[in-house]
Amino acid sequence: MRGFRFVSLLAAAAFAHDACGQDLTPRAAPQQRDVILENATLHPVALPPIEGGALWFRAGRIHAIQRGRIEVPAGAASEPERIDLRGRHVYPGLIGAVSQVGLIEIDQVRATVDTAETGSFTPEVRALVAVNPDSTVLPVTRSNGVLASGVFPLGGVVPGRASVIQLEGWTWEEMRVADDAGLVVNWPGVRPPPRFSWALDQRRVEDEEGRIRESLRNLDEAFDSAQAYLAARAADPRLPVDVRKEAYGPTLRGAKPLFVRAQEVEQIQSAVAFAVRRGFRLVLVGARDAGRCLDLLRRHEVAVILEGTHVMPPRRDADYDEIFRLPAALEAAGIRWCLASGEEFYNERNLPYQAATAVAFGLSKEAALRAVTLSAAELLGVADRLGSLEAGKDATLIVTNGDPLEYATRIEHAWIAGRKLDLRNKQTELARRYRERYRK
Amino acid sequence: MPHPTPRPLAAAFLLASALSAQAVTAPPNGPRPVDPRWHALMHARLVARPGTMIEDATIVLRDGLVVSVEAGAAPPAGARVHDLRGRFVYPGLVEPHLPVEAPRPERASPGLHWNEKVTPQRRALDGEGTTKALREELRRLGYGAAAIAPRGGIFRGEAAMVLLHEPEDAPGRRATVVREGVYHTVGFETGGGYPSSLMGAIALVRQTLLDAAWRAECVAAQGADPAAVPLPPDEALAALAPGRAVPLLFDATDELDALRAAKIAKEARRPFLVLGSGLEFRRVAALAHSGAAVLVPLRFPRAPEIRSAAEAELATLRDLMAWEQGPTNARRLLAAGVRAAFTTDKLEKRGEVHAQVRKAIRHGLSEEQALGMLTVEPARLLGLEGLLGEVAPKRLANLVVCDGPLFAEDSQILDVWVGGQRYVIHTPQPQGLAGTWAAEFPGRDPARADLEINSKSRVTLVLGDKRVAARGETLRETRLSFVVADAALGAGSFAFTATLEAGALLGEAVAPDGTRFSWRAARSGDAKPESRSSRPADAADVPQDLLLPLGAYGLPAPPPQDALLLEGATLWTSGPAGIVEDGVLIVEQGRVVYAGPRAQAPPPPAGARRIDARGKHVSPGILDCHSHTGIARGVNEGSHAVTAEVRIQDVLDPDDVHWYRELAGGVTAVNQLHGSANPIGGQSQTTKLRWGVAIPDAMHMEGAKPGIKFALGENVKRANAPRGFGPPGAGAPETRYPATRMGVEVVLRASFAAARDYTLARERFSGVAPPGPVPPRRDLQLEALAEILAGERLIHCHSYRQDEILALARLAGEYGIRLGTYQHALEAYKVAPEVKDSALGASLFSDWWAYKMEVFDAIPEAGAILHEQGVVVSFNSDSDELARRLNGEAAKAVKYGGVAPADALRFVTLNPAIQLGVAGRVGSLEKGKDADFAIWSASPLSSYARCEATFVDGREYFSLAQDREHRARIGAERQRLVQKVLRGEEERRAAHGDSRPATGPRDADEEEREEARRRVRLRMERALHARLGYSCCRVEEVR
Repeated sequence: MRGFRFVSLLAAAAFAHDACGQDLTPRAAPQQRDVILENATLHPVALPPIEGGALWFRAGRIHAIQRGRIEVPAGAASEPERIDLRGRHVYPGLIGAVSQVGLIEIDQVRATVDTAETGSFTPEVRALVAVNPDSTVLPVTRSNGVLASGVFPLGGVVPGRASVIQLEGWTWEEMRVADDAGLVVNWPGVRPPPRFSWALDQRRVEDEEGRIRESLRNLDEAFDSAQAYLAARAADPRLPVDVRKEAYGPTLRGAKPLFVRAQEVEQIQSAVAFAVRRGFRLVLVGARDAGRCLDLLRRHEVAVILEGTHVMPPRRDADYDEIFRLPAALEAAGIRWCLASGEEFYNERNLPYQAATAVAFGLSKEAALRAVTLSAAELLGVADRLGSLEAGKDATLIVTNGDPLEYATRIEHAWIAGRKLDLRNKQTELARRYRERYRK
Repeated sequence: MPHPTPRPLAAAFLLASALSAQAVTAPPNGPRPVDPRWHALMHARLVARPGTMIEDATIVLRDGLVVSVEAGAAPPAGARVHDLRGRFVYPGLVEPHLPVEAPRPERASPGLHWNEKVTPQRRALDGEGTTKALREELRRLGYGAAAIAPRGGIFRGEAAMVLLHEPEDAPGRRATVVREGVYHTVGFETGGGYPSSLMGAIALVRQTLLDAAWRAECVAAQGADPAAVPLPPDEALAALAPGRAVPLLFDATDELDALRAAKIAKEARRPFLVLGSGLEFRRVAALAHSGAAVLVPLRFPRAPEIRSAAEAELATLRDLMAWEQGPTNARRLLAAGVRAAFTTDKLEKRGEVHAQVRKAIRHGLSEEQALGMLTVEPARLLGLEGLLGEVAPKRLANLVVCDGPLFAEDSQILDVWVGGQRYVIHTPQPQGLAGTWAAEFPGRDPARADLEINSKSRVTLVLGDKRVAARGETLRETRLSFVVADAALGAGSFAFTATLEAGALLGEAVAPDGTRFSWRAARSGDAKPESRSSRPADAADVPQDLLLPLGAYGLPAPPPQDALLLEGATLWTSGPAGIVEDGVLIVEQGRVVYAGPRAQAPPPPAGARRIDARGKHVSPGILDCHSHTGIARGVNEGSHAVTAEVRIQDVLDPDDVHWYRELAGGVTAVNQLHGSANPIGGQSQTTKLRWGVAIPDAMHMEGAKPGIKFALGENVKRANAPRGFGPPGAGAPETRYPATRMGVEVVLRASFAAARDYTLARERFSGVAPPGPVPPRRDLQLEALAEILAGERLIHCHSYRQDEILALARLAGEYGIRLGTYQHALEAYKVAPEVKDSALGASLFSDWWAYKMEVFDAIPEAGAILHEQGVVVSFNSDSDELARRLNGEAAKAVKYGGVAPADALRFVTLNPAIQLGVAGRVGSLEKGKDADFAIWSASPLSSYARCEATFVDGREYFSLAQDREHRARIGAERQRLVQKVLRGEEERRAAHGDSRPATGPRDADEEEREEARRRVRLRMERALHARLGYSCCRVEEVR
């Protein structure tokens, strides 16, 4: 294993200055020399685990994966570094399907928050360009094995376009896995207000009805006018450019999915109807009530990104474990789904435990692991690079001393696209620093 | 006793003034009118009081009072005789709470209370009181007297019982006041500054009552001392002087408010009443136990709205059950022995009162009880039983005259007598017009016809086999007129009129050509019995037994406290025994008898329930050291910087479903904390998760050390509040003190100093007995702070940064205080020795950080580091959701920093118990401790572990098997009730369709409302369809 130099005093001093979110964890260099991980239990995800397996990666990509020892053909340019991982496990890096890592440093310090642009319809913005590669959140997140993430803008009806990043790089360009993963829509609340309640008078009921109708009309209009604009520009290229309307293009053409955040039954039904009518590829995000419309989702091949299992059931009478059991229900119904953490941006690292809860309530461990790796990659459209240990994919992987979904398991090594990560971070260094104070 | 001592003086005064009728009045315009005010009501069927029927009663009224009531008596000579043959007479109804506008004290008035919601000196009588329209409305419903009470505020002012006659009909041309000061109304009102929470309102009520008592003492002491300097005037507190013996009427939002009221009143030793909510049925036994007497509104909970499958799911079983059970409220209260009277207050429409009473009767209230709750009971609860509520000599002459029994569906109120004055409500139609009549039209063609007249005076002309409905029928006195337009009589319209004379109709008609002719009709047959609208069925299908709490997951009774023998599990004792493989746990009477290895286990108690727990793990119940679960109406009283006087225990909500969900996560006790909006918040409560208790206080952990919430840093200096945020009066963030950590320290320092002075001042008076000098005023805020100084109350301080932690540690040191915990304390790891020396421990989030500036240095290793340094560490949730998974939080201490598993589990069991001063009772599985424990499917530190059962006091409050039963029961009950709601809707719609009910007055407003509903429903449906314009999927309709 390659060592690295880390001047602890310097780092400690540097960490003391990080109040503005400046991360000073040492960066990894691009992979120069081939690496072969040996004698490990490999968890390719797409295939059953391989005991005593070996995994060879080269120039940031997985070159080979197999049971037993990999013999390097004679005449190779350089002898690969061999790392003996007896008793260790290798998994693809976990993927947080939906998060805001890199867009926020400190939630309540407004200057550090870049999640929501002004206006209800801002499809033109994309998350990638605002990702801060020096965010302290990134090393904290990846040190628990979460190595890639969907970054979703927030706010309004159409907050913008999601990007996919790997959680390491000198610049956001180096972190980029997908610039534009799809358009994000926050589906308007469509639950009709109660007709007669103590609280609502008739006028407010009508206002509410009007508001629902208007927001749905606005949503339709946004897509209709964009379509018209694109057709007009195709016919007449001299037409001035409308950056906002252009942004609907990939989704309108069917090249990108539409990510719709919807929770309630009525929202899901309404969003599915919308997407089916327009022929969009729909990926629901959140979908807390997905268990109540499984047939609908299956019939229209709607994919679902659940946002965490550690969520209170929204109805008083509900089973206490309604959301804990939701992943198992989707899996049993044969719906394409994955699990995002549902955590605040700073605790994306807890993604594996959200998955573990689903296992405690009926999901298989294999399905749980897939839900935070390969399935997430698939729904974000990056399965060609991430999500499983397969030749040709990025060497984005973790080495653990056990099941990564278990609390006590430690991440011992990690690589992103072949770059060996330093798993220290602001938090580990603060711990070290203050343990110094107590050294007898 | 809830009612005040009757005051014979006032009653005598009233009688004298009523009898004299010689009050000073304005000079008459014209001759001086004389009204003898002397009546004899003859031959009535009198219900003099509930259960006492007098046939052929003669009731003599004079000068506004009942003089005599006697069966078959002759009228006194000189009295005006009223023949009430066939009529039913009842006592006039009594409204015990009628809110009215009343003037508020002037800003400059003497003795204004500092809080503008405290205006006990207001008097309902100082305002307009009832309006004419209101009086008329109430009289139409049979009411003759009402207690008018000022509207709005916390101490709202004094109510008075007044008669509902028109002033010009009363002696002195002023409505008679039956009694002033029948009660003070108190409401737990919040908003617009202090108090902003229910617990704040309760604290203010409690302090104000103390202040009033203290001031009365001062006044008395001053009276005894001629040299004393006069006290400054204080009208507010003077109005509340205990010596006045005016009871308090607490306006309750739900049945828990009623229990809160009872507690406050008992503490202050004040007579009290409760203005109910209609939800009392949820806890009648507890109410009976509390001694509360209740004014019960006739408002019944509405049915939840159900238009789609999704809405059916949204309707909670609790609401559905409340809807079904609401009408049983009165019956259940009386059955439990609660004294109760009906009030029309809180009804959406007062006109519904009789329909609602009938509904209550269909739900098992007897007619006698109903009448009592409308007459004698309100009178008695207000201490006016000698004056109102029955028809008997010397009572006020308030009567209701009906054409049938008062509670019969089609009875009508004809007259209401108020203070001896008759008010005609409804003139009965002359008897006998309904039937068939043989009509003759001499000289016309046709010369004969048959008339059919129904009880609604609808006229049908029958010519052979042809039936012609008349139009425009009107009946005035005995004069009937109608119009017939039919070719059978000739072209055009014929207008008929006739008068009933000696059993025959004699009349005249005008033909279309203007010619007049006379006609006559003789009775040829009686009215056909008309089909009555079907009476709503008795509510026989309404379940008798209720769950606690009402709704989903409620229990019919607390789980049994069996002796238990649990075998084979891995026991995580959190005690000295550590982790025991193949352990045995024995429980008797809710206590641990043994927890340890099988080898040393004593023989199990006879009849112990055996639990085979092989392969399972058992831990002590999880203890959440920072919870806001089950706190009703406001977690923060943040309107002042210091609110040590407010108490979480006052607002514990035992029905919060999150208790159940937390039980499902192995939690058995929590530290219920006030929020962190101000430097010194309210008193905390250590609570056991005894799900399904009737009395909230039953959840308090016995012997727990009292606590209080403090807070430092960004929240209390309002760093993150937008400009202008905060309740009015509390000051904008940039103007409210403190705005810096410097100021926070000063607020705390000044509070401790004041508390010390308070203690000293009180001590100087300890042992001083009356008639010595009056001790200093009791101040509940300073009292709580003094308890901190005395070491009797633990501080649990929300804190983050090391500087603020250290500042508090040093300040506490100056005052000799040892804190309970630093809460959150995410930088406590930087000052571990200082934390260790100044507090019982630190209670952290396992791994939260970066949600605001002051937590940017938070690290997940903090727990481990503090633990290494000897600090007692707990991990808490501060969240209903996370509370369910605290075992997993403990596991993170193993992951980050390598704490040993047994020690890590102590972070959520024994350590929080130590921090709350309850380690002698809970926190570990040791002999003699409470049998609070959880059974897990795997190691509680595994992310795959699932809680399978949770015991509190040896009672199994949660288990997977019980949960399955709950689900089945919830599903079935929901299904039944949703169907019932939908059926009710159907019936209403059918009833509203083509055929209007043939008899019974129809409430025009009800029709209007129905129509409005129909319109909205249509609009909703249209909207729904518009939404589904996209439709490929159909909204699932409820089946």
